[in-house]
Amino acid sequence: MAEAAERIDDPRFVLQTRDLTRQFDGFFALRKVNFRLARDSVHAVIGPNGAGKTTLFNLLTKHLAPSEGAILHDGEDVTRLKMPAMAKRGVVRSFQISAVFAGLTVQENVEVALLRGSGLAWNLLGRISKQSGVAERAAALLRRFGLAEHAETMAGNLSYGRKRVLELATTLALEPKVLLLDEPMAGLGREDIGRVTALIQQARRGRTVLLVEHNMNVVAELADRITVMVRGEIAAEGSYAEVAANPAVITAYTGRAHG
Amino acid sequence: MTTIFGVPSAVLFGQLLLGLVNGAFYAMLSLGLAVIFGMMNIVNFAHGAQYMMGAMLAWLLLNFLGVGYWWALILAPMAVGLGGVVLERFLLRRLYGLDHLYGMLLTFGLALMVQGALGNWFGSSGQPYAIPAELTGGRNLGFMFLPNYRAWVLVASLVVCLGTWYVIERTRLGAYLRAATENPVLVQAFGIRVPRMIMLTYGAGVALAALAGALAAPVYQVSPSMGADLLIVVFAVVVIGGMGSIMGSIVTGFLVGLIEGVTKAYYPELSGTVVFVVMAVVLMLRPAGLFGAKLDGAGGHQEATEAPRSSSPRAHIVLALAAIMAVAPLVVYPGFMMKAMIFALFACAFNLIAGYGRLVSFGHAMFLGSAGYVCGHAAKVWALTPELAILTGTATAALLGLVSGWLAIRRSGIYFAMVTLAFAQMIYFVALQAPFTGGENGLQGVPRGMLFGLIDLSKPVNLYVFVTVIFLAGFVLIMRLVDSPFGQVLRAISNHEARAQSLGFETDRYKCLAFTLSAALAGLAGSTKAIVTQIATLTDAHWSMSGEVLLMTFLGGVGTPLGPVIGAFVVVAMQNYLAGVGQWVAVIHGLIFAVCVLAFRRGIVGEVSAWWHHRGSRGSGAVPSTGQAVPGK
Ligand SMILES: Nc1ncnc2c1ncn2[C@@H]1O[C@H](COP(=O)(O)OP(=O)(O)OP(=O)(O)O)[C@@H](O)[C@H]1O
Ligand SMILES: [Mg+2]
Repeated sequence: MAEAAERIDDPRFVLQTRDLTRQFDGFFALRKVNFRLARDSVHAVIGPNGAGKTTLFNLLTKHLAPSEGAILHDGEDVTRLKMPAMAKRGVVRSFQISAVFAGLTVQENVEVALLRGSGLAWNLLGRISKQSGVAERAAALLRRFGLAEHAETMAGNLSYGRKRVLELATTLALEPKVLLLDEPMAGLGREDIGRVTALIQQARRGRTVLLVEHNMNVVAELADRITVMVRGEIAAEGSYAEVAANPAVITAYTGRAHG
Repeated sequence: MTTIFGVPSAVLFGQLLLGLVNGAFYAMLSLGLAVIFGMMNIVNFAHGAQYMMGAMLAWLLLNFLGVGYWWALILAPMAVGLGGVVLERFLLRRLYGLDHLYGMLLTFGLALMVQGALGNWFGSSGQPYAIPAELTGGRNLGFMFLPNYRAWVLVASLVVCLGTWYVIERTRLGAYLRAATENPVLVQAFGIRVPRMIMLTYGAGVALAALAGALAAPVYQVSPSMGADLLIVVFAVVVIGGMGSIMGSIVTGFLVGLIEGVTKAYYPELSGTVVFVVMAVVLMLRPAGLFGAKLDGAGGHQEATEAPRSSSPRAHIVLALAAIMAVAPLVVYPGFMMKAMIFALFACAFNLIAGYGRLVSFGHAMFLGSAGYVCGHAAKVWALTPELAILTGTATAALLGLVSGWLAIRRSGIYFAMVTLAFAQMIYFVALQAPFTGGENGLQGVPRGMLFGLIDLSKPVNLYVFVTVIFLAGFVLIMRLVDSPFGQVLRAISNHEARAQSLGFETDRYKCLAFTLSAALAGLAGSTKAIVTQIATLTDAHWSMSGEVLLMTFLGGVGTPLGPVIGAFVVVAMQNYLAGVGQWVAVIHGLIFAVCVLAFRRGIVGEVSAWWHHRGSRGSGAVPSTGQAVPGK
């Protein structure tokens, strides 16, 4: 108890979990995880398939409800909040399987996020083009992400790599304080990986970034701190060098990290 | 004579028994639905028709071939089940991998066809089916009289239900079935032919419905429409129980029957609607249903493949429509034009929620119908001017939309369709029984009155202009809504709800508002209809009207601005010119449904514009333009 109280007051951490557990029909996808995300850091979660990384994300962003345990954001207990409430608190995620609004154009995708940010989403009769700069800001974001020439393309028709970039652009349009990225590099070619890495480097300024990633080069380049998850539990935590040297990690994490 | 809470015990037990018998049929039907849904993810809207076919077949066998009850009990399910196998093999199979709604629409269309055709051949009045000699009579249990046939129905249905449960939950075959729903590829790898298994499962589910029908023949009147209303109650049962569990379906079926029985004993007026009230309460307290799995987050999503795209309320569409409406009375009967415009507005309202919000309601008739009654009542009894009467009707529909929408959006996809259908049935019963609606005769003699106290709407020209203005205003309003920031968010939500929530949108609120707006606009159509036709009738509140608006919208092109308008004109024209063929209209409707779902999923407008783009892109070698003004460029 004393320890928990101490952690609640610790302002260095944006997100903290206390004995966070999630079961699926008796199977523990996550078991008593105590995880802390330091403010303004880039923190990577790695681990073999099925380790519970996405489940951790789903719990942190309220996509799933925990079976047990608590989640704290900026020292407040947010365990019972709903998904939109987390986004409004500035915690926004991307999905492992790219999530774009396929039937909207690329520009419209970004505009939707901007509408939420600017509180215009309840405007029933206006036109986007007349909404205080939403369209302009969307266009600027698309230029920054190299999507300007695809502004009018249906998002569903984009290549996989561009969908991922669009998802990142849409997420960043909300100016989140905490950015959660689930395998942002999955399915990308080498060039795209370089671009997205640079975009994340850019985006990290003034933000906290939590990412799940299998590509260890990317993790090494971006992450200040690394958590290794195995079978729903935290197996190790530390800097890249510390984690890489940890024998427990090497046995648990069979080859994939360096393969 | 003993009484229980003021009701003679014999009456109470009699009603409880009747309730249990009804419950037996609910249980068997919802069980079949659950089996089919679990295996194929299809909500079998033909289930009621297949139940009816079982009963009809038993009746035909007896009256034309002299085949008795016991053989019918075996032959009818086999024949109907075989029909189901053929249906799965040649039609349903084409829809796997598509949105579940298509399966629903196809089976709905097929049900319309079967019901319409049989209604035409045998008339809609019920035929009695004699109880087999072995089961006549009954016994006195001391506290009540138990007819033998009812006892037999209870025993037989329990055996059938528990047998099905046993096969699915406790045998190897059942294990394969359950495994195949989880992971068809893996089961296929075990050397089991999954497609054939699915086909046989559908056949078995259908046979179950037909068996229930044959069992029901001596209890209820055998008629082509006996399955339709029953199916809606069964949908409510399914929503109450949750389709996840076989045992849940059985228990809920009997439970709902009992609740109805008790209600009939104590408060008969409510007995038709009590199941829907229970459904509403369950939705409020336990949205996943009594036995349903927990609803987690926003649920799965489907990548939108045939996504609607926005198009600006291009002034020229509206101008062209206005010009057509202005010229049309010179060549077409104005009465037809007004009717078509009213239905076009209704379909556009439906399209707002179904096309852009992807919430396909099967109960939109409740807004058309209730607004018509309230508007008619306001004009006739309260003597309001037409614009105020219409406003009152529209506001009523909006309120109804808010309440039903608030409950219905707790479920999505097929459940949403079933919930809205059930609510609409409840409103239908209310309209049937309420003192001011005129019951079967409708609310007649609605005055057209003086618009704003100035313009006499009984003059044909005035009336025509009035309807045209309302239609165009409604159309423009809907287009503005679709193109507004709200509309864009709504489309985003319909594309990927979980993503929208993760961006911070409280998606339920947006969906609820969209549903309310759609209801209000449907109410505007219904109110206008009452003023124009001077009558409000049960037809407008009946489920077949909800089916008609679906048909108009899907035929014209769901998610396109003009689609519903064109669909409405085509359907209304068909009804006008095919009026002589009676029930065949329903068959034709059903046929169009089936053809649309199987061959023209984009509807008239969608197919034409796709063809146009295709042609254009081939001609110029350029990427087809979306035809959309992109802001900020
Ligand atoms: N909705 C669910 N229902 C049942 N089991 C689930 C569900 N979601 C996840 N699981 C299980 O929980 C475990 C952890 O899954 P999770 O998706 O969190 O893994 P992950 O670390 O993200 O893996 P990957 O690297 O493959 O993305 C897996 O065994 C998975 O099968
Ligand atoms: Mg994952």
